[in-house]
Amino acid sequence: MHVPDGIVPAWVAITGYAAAGGTTWFSLDRIKRKYENPREMIPTASLLTAVFFVASLIHIPMPPTSVHLVLSGLMGVVLGWYAFPAILIGLFFQAVMFQHGGLTTLGLNACIMGLPALLAFGIFRLRYLRGGDKPGPSMIFGFLAGFSGLVLGALMSSLILILTIPANLDVSVERAAILSLLVAHIPLALLEGVFTALVVLFMLRVKPGLLEAELK
Amino acid sequence: MIIEDIASVPAGNPLYRWEPRTKLIGIMCLAFAFAAVRDLRLLPVMLALSLFLFVLSSLPFSYLLGRMRIPGIFLLAMAVVLPFFSGNTVLVQLGPVSLKQEGCVSLLLIAVKFLCIVTIAVVLFASTPLTRMLGSMRSLGLPPLLGDMMLFTYRYIFQLAADFHRASTAACLRGARMRSLKSLKTTAYIVGSLMVRSHERAERVFHAMTLRGYGRQDMDFYKAKIRPPDVIAGSACVLAAAGFVLFQLLMP
Repeated sequence: MHVPDGIVPAWVAITGYAAAGGTTWFSLDRIKRKYENPREMIPTASLLTAVFFVASLIHIPMPPTSVHLVLSGLMGVVLGWYAFPAILIGLFFQAVMFQHGGLTTLGLNACIMGLPALLAFGIFRLRYLRGGDKPGPSMIFGFLAGFSGLVLGALMSSLILILTIPANLDVSVERAAILSLLVAHIPLALLEGVFTALVVLFMLRVKPGLLEAELK
Repeated sequence: MIIEDIASVPAGNPLYRWEPRTKLIGIMCLAFAFAAVRDLRLLPVMLALSLFLFVLSSLPFSYLLGRMRIPGIFLLAMAVVLPFFSGNTVLVQLGPVSLKQEGCVSLLLIAVKFLCIVTIAVVLFASTPLTRMLGSMRSLGLPPLLGDMMLFTYRYIFQLAADFHRASTAACLRGARMRSLKSLKTTAYIVGSLMVRSHERAERVFHAMTLRGYGRQDMDFYKAKIRPPDVIAGSACVLAAAGFVLFQLLMP
């Protein structure tokens, strides 16, 4: 789901930066409105960003290959409005330390992973309509948040790649490519959904406050 | 899990001495100009410029190759798809499969752009300590909240990776098979416990920092001064970037 440098035209990369800049500004504005002293939450948000960075390096075997966790849904669930800046920072470090993603495509990748994280945040909040912090609804909405976070990210990246790479692809080939990329991501989306639900269950048992409105 | 820190070019190197703000602006302009290239005639110039910066950095070639491994997988996928499915002009017919000219040209363009942008990005980050880079980004207008989060995250990445490694080893010693789908629950619980412990650690860190004056005023630790050679190097990169764009606009 990370778009590398040089694949998409410059206007797409620049649009990605503009969209990421706008969404970061919006997220920071929401954070500033929420807290009298927004700096109070910086250490917590940063340490959780570092945990996500480390967790995204975990490889889980999925025959015939192995996959690494994306965790955009879980970031939305735990970090709320901090999720977008946290993803931007995580992607920056991934691009700097491993060249995973890219320098010119940083904004684009932040949108591909960050906007689904905000959607996951919204989905997880729906649990208050169905039993609040009880384990059952929390796990179901946790699963949906993790699953939809990855599916939306995969859909966005597939569309951006297929529709903007400088190549004359046939319409039917384009459609088949988008569909096959999406289908290939379904097992990973299920895995992310289960993983998110399990982490939610763990936190409900150990530190339920971390899932509540504290950070959001 | 071992995370390697970024390699660094020697401290006496001209790229290392180049002031980070002008370096960041110059190389970012160059990277976007490379991304905007559509004219094949510019590819040799791009390659020469990237090679010049890489040679100047005195980084080992194996380091650059290692950095291209992960994004290179993506390029490999492109190499399998584009030459056979993109375009109409058939170059070679191999039974039911045909090699198309437009696809080959697209692949060449993408591959060279990728190679050049990754090379200059590697040079940029290997020649600037990350803390100085983050300081320069703050000085260029990065919101303080984002700048502080970046510094904090960088501070704890290595420590948390070591914590995760320790917890995984402990789980393995208790019989868990960490590299299997069956261990998903164990992995999720380890990540969950890291999050809980990080949250508690963050509270202590914030109190300690507040006692030391954090948050009372915006602190600017960035002291580097821009010298004439920094301006010249930065301007040269910006002019080269403008040259790439103008060439494509003006030349048929």
